Amino acid sequence: MEHANGITPRRRRVRPLPYVLLLPAVAALVLMLGYPIVRLFTLALQNFGLKQQFGAAANWVGLKNFRTIVHDPEFWAVLRRTLAFCAVNVVLTIALGMAIALLLKRLGSKMRLLTMLGLMLAWSMPALTSTVIWQWIFDTQYGIANWALGRQGQSWLSNPLTFYFVATIIVVWMGIPFVAFTLYAGLTQIPEETMEAAAIDGANPWQRFRDIVVPALKPILLILTSLSVLWDFRVFTQVYVLQRAGGITRDTNLLGVYAYRISIGANHFDRGAAVAIVMVVITVLMTMFYLRSMTRQEEL
Amino acid sequence: MRMRKLAAVLAALTMALAACGSDTKSSTATNAATTTAGQAATTSAAAPADTTATTPAATTVPPPITGGTGTSGEIRLWLNGGDTPDAFVKFAITEFNKTHPDVRVTFERQQWTGIVEKLTTSLSSSDSPDVIELGNTQAQAFEAAGALQDLTATKAALGGDDLLQSLVEAGTYNGKFYGVPYYAGARVMLYRKDMFTASGLSVPTTIDEMLAAGKKLKADNASTTNFSGMYLPGKNWFAALPFLWVNGGDIAVQDSGKWKGMLSSDKSVTGLTQFQQFIEQTSGAPKDGDDSKDYIAFCKGEVGMMPAPGWKPGQIINKDDGCPDMESKIGAFAMPGLTAGTTSPAFLGGSNLAISAKSKHADLATDLLKILVSKDYQKQFADQGTIPALKSLLGDVTGSDAATAQAKAAENSRFVPSSENWAAVEASNVLPDMIVAISGGADVKSEAAKADAAIEATLNG
Repeated sequence: MEHANGITPRRRRVRPLPYVLLLPAVAALVLMLGYPIVRLFTLALQNFGLKQQFGAAANWVGLKNFRTIVHDPEFWAVLRRTLAFCAVNVVLTIALGMAIALLLKRLGSKMRLLTMLGLMLAWSMPALTSTVIWQWIFDTQYGIANWALGRQGQSWLSNPLTFYFVATIIVVWMGIPFVAFTLYAGLTQIPEETMEAAAIDGANPWQRFRDIVVPALKPILLILTSLSVLWDFRVFTQVYVLQRAGGITRDTNLLGVYAYRISIGANHFDRGAAVAIVMVVITVLMTMFYLRSMTRQEEL
Repeated sequence: MRMRKLAAVLAALTMALAACGSDTKSSTATNAATTTAGQAATTSAAAPADTTATTPAATTVPPPITGGTGTSGEIRLWLNGGDTPDAFVKFAITEFNKTHPDVRVTFERQQWTGIVEKLTTSLSSSDSPDVIELGNTQAQAFEAAGALQDLTATKAALGGDDLLQSLVEAGTYNGKFYGVPYYAGARVMLYRKDMFTASGLSVPTTIDEMLAAGKKLKADNASTTNFSGMYLPGKNWFAALPFLWVNGGDIAVQDSGKWKGMLSSDKSVTGLTQFQQFIEQTSGAPKDGDDSKDYIAFCKGEVGMMPAPGWKPGQIINKDDGCPDMESKIGAFAMPGLTAGTTSPAFLGGSNLAISAKSKHADLATDLLKILVSKDYQKQFADQGTIPALKSLLGDVTGSDAATAQAKAAENSRFVPSSENWAAVEASNVLPDMIVAISGGADVKSEAAKADAAIEATLNG
């Protein structure tokens, strides 16, 4: 593998063609990403409701929308809830994903194929479809969960805690395959000799895991964690669909759904945009930490 | 060295995969609202303002009904839920194409669930439908926003004074006429005649008798799982309104320009507490469920009484996922009041039709509207037991017990607060939230106070 890092002695000339060829892609990116972002920021600084949506002039109101949401206790409740939900889901996804990756390493080829197939199926299912199916599983009257547990009439979605329990199952279930596959790929790259040497030196399995496997997989773990944080922080479909099926909307909103309800539901597009911007800022802050430590890792 | 290279490759790979992954996630996320809301409902029908339903039936998308050659234009018609059968639409398109054979009419059926969000985005886009249906509780928001065309000048040709007054009010904003009445329906109480006979019950004449009947039915059918003397899923907040109103309570009232929440007033609390009794003592429905599966529960024999719109029997006996053999066992009565001989105020649902302000063919759309409120077309509603938009056809509403009960209920009917912000109250789920909490045994007064605060904040903008 060393040759890939070798220095190529060939001198480089600056050729314009590659840049010209890049232009369409860059232009498309600016249009697709740039316009919505600019629109989001202008919305957040304006007074924009249903009337403005249908053509009335929008006034600039500065940071009024941000002040409104910061002074709304519901916003803080939703934010706390979202952070807690995100933390629990990320930890569970990574931990269970790692466990399954280790399992894949130990399995025989047939069982491994079967497990991977199962993971693949869970992964490839659209979020909406799987949420609806899980919702049926936990249906109060006709659900198989209540039938299996002998708890006829147990309403899983009406209590916020059990509501999040169901939502967590769905989110983690969908998040595990990607984590497991990636970590398994990483595991196969750890030299067997190192592990053997450690075993001969008397390191027990836990020590080998902690001192060899985890450090070796650290870059992968970091990137997986930051991606999971990204996904789980802005989870929408699962919560939205479950709120429809049951539960109390007010007590189960997470930031993504909350922003949607403020803008599309209550027609405060301006305030909804402000919430969305706060979400973006928090996401950037949270992932920045991981991305920075990852680049540092690579510089070593 | 080796690990670093691997990490770099994996990082790149991960990013690529992440792009796919996040793409699926975010696109399904944004679609969640539009797909489930937008997909056509075949047999699942929600009442005009029912805001919750995720029925399996909603996933099948029938081919759109179209007519006309399309050589000189196209107009799109959106109607919601299962209230307008396909046959009605085919009739309207055929009529329209008699005078405009070269105009293509495309009909797209929408779901009631999420219709406010869907209209908010589609009416303001360049791809707006031309003729749309709005729940009468939702119309004011779009009229105030300038989303609809002013039809004041053509009101006379669209039915004029023959139109149902309460729906004309829903369709009028600041003295201008935007929403043409389409049909109405009052909620009635359906019941199983055979179960009433078996339990030796007769149609109750007071609310107390109705509670006693519900308890007796539940006791007599205890062997049936999930049995409801009265089927009251927690999200069906419409069912709570008659209890509120008959005790003198209300949702909110306007006082010198400001809305004041009235749910926590003593009279409303009395009504809601009464409703809570019905839930706790007679209902076996999911405490946080909605009424989208009520006809299935009815067909399974799990229901003794059930508040429902007048067209519900049609859904119960539908051939696809209903139970046609139930027909002779379905009875209906107007919900009684506190004393014998009176009725409780019924929630009057209904729909208005309107033309999008963005419609490029307003003249053609108006011609289509004229057909949809014509006597020939509206007669079909009367024949199926729905209250038509034309007063002159009210005498033609015929058929079942439900139609008779509905006519009686409609005599004493009420409506939600008439405000351009009411649609936002519905979208916020504050009322289903309150009823779900009450169903779970929460304190009525404090839940009502929470709901009042939220409703006041929304209505007062």
